[in-house]
Amino acid sequence: MSALIDCEHLEVRFRTEHGDVCAVNDLSFQLQAGECLGIVGESGSGKSQSMLAMLGLLADNGYATGAVRYRGRDILNLPRRELDQLRGDRLAMVFQDALSGLTPTMRIGDQLAESLVRHRGLSRAYAKAKALEMLEIVKIPAPDTRYCAYPFELSGGMRQRVMIAMAMLCQPEVLICDEPTTALDVTVQAQILRLLDGLKRHTGTAIILITHDLGVVAGLCDRVLIMYAGRAVEVGNTADIYASPQHPYTAGLLRSVPTLGGDPDTDLPTIPGQPPDLERLGAGCAFAARCGHTFGPCTEQLPELTRVGPAHIAACHRVNGP
Amino acid sequence: MSDTVLQVEDLSVHYDVRGGGLLNTRKRTLKAVQQVSFELRAGETLGVVGETGCGKSSLGRAVLQLVRPANGRVVWQGRDLCGLSDRELRPARKDLQVVFQDPLSSLNPRMTVGEIIAEPLRIHQPELSAAERTEKAAEMMTRVGLLPDLARRYPNEFSGGQCQRVSIARAMILEPRVIVCDEPVSALDVSIQAQICNLLRTLQRDTGIAMIFISHDLSIVRYMAHRVLVMYLGRLMELGSRERFFARPCHPYSQALLAAVPEPDPGRPVSQYADPLPGDVPSPLDPPSGCVFRTRCEHATPVCVSQQPALELAEDGHEVACHHWRRLGGHGAAT
Repeated sequence: MSALIDCEHLEVRFRTEHGDVCAVNDLSFQLQAGECLGIVGESGSGKSQSMLAMLGLLADNGYATGAVRYRGRDILNLPRRELDQLRGDRLAMVFQDALSGLTPTMRIGDQLAESLVRHRGLSRAYAKAKALEMLEIVKIPAPDTRYCAYPFELSGGMRQRVMIAMAMLCQPEVLICDEPTTALDVTVQAQILRLLDGLKRHTGTAIILITHDLGVVAGLCDRVLIMYAGRAVEVGNTADIYASPQHPYTAGLLRSVPTLGGDPDTDLPTIPGQPPDLERLGAGCAFAARCGHTFGPCTEQLPELTRVGPAHIAACHRVNGP
Repeated sequence: MSDTVLQVEDLSVHYDVRGGGLLNTRKRTLKAVQQVSFELRAGETLGVVGETGCGKSSLGRAVLQLVRPANGRVVWQGRDLCGLSDRELRPARKDLQVVFQDPLSSLNPRMTVGEIIAEPLRIHQPELSAAERTEKAAEMMTRVGLLPDLARRYPNEFSGGQCQRVSIARAMILEPRVIVCDEPVSALDVSIQAQICNLLRTLQRDTGIAMIFISHDLSIVRYMAHRVLVMYLGRLMELGSRERFFARPCHPYSQALLAAVPEPDPGRPVSQYADPLPGDVPSPLDPPSGCVFRTRCEHATPVCVSQQPALELAEDGHEVACHHWRRLGGHGAAT
């Protein structure tokens, strides 16, 4: 089966006063139809920038190299017009901050209908019917009334539902969600996660979920890709990675998260130090300074992603070494 | 009780807001906190949890008199802080400190980190010389895990986790008796959260400071708090020991909160979560009659509409405000 999205050696750089900063480095992954892939990392790990690059949404001083193929077609170097046809139609994105993703002066129903008129050439009346149907699918109460509401009149959870409705309108094959529940309360987060899970099951839409929350990943994702300082450090099935993380960063992250089952009387295991400055990365493994298992090559040589199990890879010298 | 450091009685916080009506000039009262009572014991951490708009931050600020409560008492060393003038409050401020969520914006960008940490000394212990202040600040930096060499740097050169360490150092330098931490780790990366949580726990062990730890994250509260206070729309829903609360929460809202926590366990996918609470939190400007939680509660009956539930005492000193808590048991563990 060929992959829906095939990302190869993606590199994202930003031009700054101090020279170029590399935000994403040699990122390769595949997304299969119908699966949910979690991309996990801390701020500055490159998780959001890699997705923005895929959709041609980088800031003006950013540029991407490498190849991102959607159904075999390179979308990284697509002319603007062709990309516009894909975006919002076949590939859709939901952002963390739903308020800034919606036009404040336009009724939400009109915003929804517009994308159908534009991408599908539907008549206004038919687009409206479709939009109402979608508001119902994302479980917005009283969709007829909400259709005429402005974004500021809706709560945070409701706006996120509208964003998801808008993204799902054209039945995209890939839905990229960037921290979709981070700004929401835990009970509303549970509603949105349930909604995404239902969409995945019933529409077969593949989801890429960008998050820092290992709980959200465990609840929703089939596979997970862990990023650190702009690189993928571990990729595998969620169950495998949680059961036996191979990269010390992944292992450290999983241990440092407080859970409802852990022993609250002992201190949390922590990862010492802090994420590195992307402008000052050395030659070796970017995690070496915080890692308790370093040896010879760690500070000199970049570890490559190596197979550590069926469908499980990790970039750590220890995987091959002592 | 002899080991009570702070007694909060019937505390209410109201804000005047303008909005609605012709020309948006109608004045309305937002009741952010309503009649909340609790005691804070020496050396303990009281976790305050709830969702956006539940009044947990307002409660923390009212305890410190950073917002003046509309009603109620905050008794500190035999005196009610609520009636005191800013000047009269000054000695108490030395003992009651705060750490906010946003580490960078709560630090003055024009002061060096060393100056920021020493600033409370300048105000409250003017007898100290500049050299003594610097020395104390350096000592405090070491205790919170910052190299004293960094004292001449400015906050913008620091990461979020380091800024939070600076905030903690500033709060701790006067050796206060109570510290209010308002979402102190929410803005930090996962790997840094655990560091800051451990630091706060270590400082508490070393100094016996009492802590009010405000957070929306129940997993972190379980790890930080000895007792848990749950708020919803300005009202106290449940208050009890950590052990009892997490094993057998009494209030249906607490049960729903716990059930919604995404656990890092792939064996528990979203499809197996309990049904999430329906709807959103109602507007605090227009809270429901009776029990404020009733519009989202599957157990609500007519009495919940007509009558506000009183705070009742369950076993183990647990307090709960629900008409039906006995029926709902608090026996069915939510986790």
